Amino acid sequence: MSRNINVNQISMVFYGRGEPTIALEKVDLHIPAGQFAAIIGPSGCGKSTLLRLVADVMQPFAGSVTLDGDTPRAARLDHALGFVFQSPTLLPWRTVKQNVELPLDIVGRKSKRRSGLSPAELIELVGLKGFENSLPHELSGGMQQRAAIARALVLKPDVLLLDEPFGALDEITRQRMNLELLRIWAESGTTALLVTHSIAEAVFMSDQVFVMSARPGRITSVIDIPLPRPRQLEMMRTPVFFDCVNRVRDGLFGHEAAPAESRLQAVEAY
Amino acid sequence: MRADAIIRRVPWGAILRPLVTAGVVLGAAEIAQRAGLLPVFVPSPSQVASEMIANPRLVFGNLGPTAWKAAIGYAIAAAIAVSAGAVAILIRNLYGAVYNFGLTLHSIPIIATAPLLALWLGTGPQVQIAIAGLASQFPMLVGTMQGLQAADARQRELMHVLSASRSQTMRYLLIPSALPYLFAGFKIAAPSAVLGAITAEWAGADRGVGAMMLYALFSYDTPKVWLSVLLTCVLAASGYGVWVLIERIVVYWDRDVQLAE
Repeated sequence: MSRNINVNQISMVFYGRGEPTIALEKVDLHIPAGQFAAIIGPSGCGKSTLLRLVADVMQPFAGSVTLDGDTPRAARLDHALGFVFQSPTLLPWRTVKQNVELPLDIVGRKSKRRSGLSPAELIELVGLKGFENSLPHELSGGMQQRAAIARALVLKPDVLLLDEPFGALDEITRQRMNLELLRIWAESGTTALLVTHSIAEAVFMSDQVFVMSARPGRITSVIDIPLPRPRQLEMMRTPVFFDCVNRVRDGLFGHEAAPAESRLQAVEAY
Repeated sequence: MRADAIIRRVPWGAILRPLVTAGVVLGAAEIAQRAGLLPVFVPSPSQVASEMIANPRLVFGNLGPTAWKAAIGYAIAAAIAVSAGAVAILIRNLYGAVYNFGLTLHSIPIIATAPLLALWLGTGPQVQIAIAGLASQFPMLVGTMQGLQAADARQRELMHVLSASRSQTMRYLLIPSALPYLFAGFKIAAPSAVLGAITAEWAGADRGVGAMMLYALFSYDTPKVWLSVLLTCVLAASGYGVWVLIERIVVYWDRDVQLAE
């Protein structure tokens, strides 16, 4: 099962010391069930805040979020949300296997939410076979993040929220993880929302890319990605891919920032 | 494991270095005393040692009572401090009150209150137990209160998104992340319990390291005074050491994370 994501006219204000900051201003986001969408934007544009509003970690100042008509809170209590953080956020006293099993410990081992894949299969899927009994501090950052992804998939989430999950990984691991994530996503049929800094990653992964601007956080353009699925690395050499990359780039920087050789730059950017 | 493998695994350097240091310091003290460089009220280490060998009953007859009284007072204080700390975290309105009460108790001068407590509670072991508890409660209270707040924001968000119940969050996240802080509190509090018990013994006790210390002081028996100081150190350090060993087993995951961040 998967749910659509509807963000309607969300605004978010933070009251810190001094002037209140408008983190999000009248943001609209509509993602059909089962789609893979990405949010891209400069640092501090409120994209992580947006993700946390969908995850019911924060409450909006104005506007509403619904997941198939339910509030985020109802979806969360139904264990319908998977969240992968920027940092792995593993519990350091639990082994890899125990960390992956944490959601099962909370929901109950016999839950109907249980994914079709067992913890052992998920660990194998993310390439951590043989490290089941390692503690997080014994693993590299990339391996820890892969364990975190396995954990997010141990319950079949209707909505999978990914907050720059591969930001800390090197380019090679990152591409491999992206492909693995797409495969798992296709198998699970969940709706995925990915926050990222990387234009190429956003285009390669998504059906739809939302481009945001900062201060105040707004969605400036929505770009549909017509690349077929399943996605393959070779698609990154196609004109369609470059065209999409350029459109996202235009959304981020405006047309004046994209000179004639923008196609070449797109190649370099990757 | 074969015997030679075990021998190779023993951290000889870690054992030998403090032994050599102690040997050098004691040797220097011995030479200085014999050369007449130290005042008369500082005995040579060999005098203290022979005092101990000559009176084994003096040593064990006084070490035992102090040890068990300190241990009981410490255990009661630990139970109360950990429960009070947990309550203060669960009921936020009580946080300030619990903390300040613990701090106030910690600020009471034991040397003045011990005789008053003796008048109130009687001159049995209950006074030493009470004072040992009073002297050691605060680090354990602080350890509990800090520890239960030590989980970072991301980990809390994780439990929230998984919609873990309060007791699940406590069990899976808050208690394990409190353990390093709790052990820091237990370790710091152990010597305080010993010192508290000994100070309380000054206010009236027939047996105990504190009683022995007072008796030796009044009879100008400097080797016995120093022997009682040595016994105090041994007790305090073993209280600390026991927790270091338990911590190594229980907190197996962040061996190299320092508490001082």
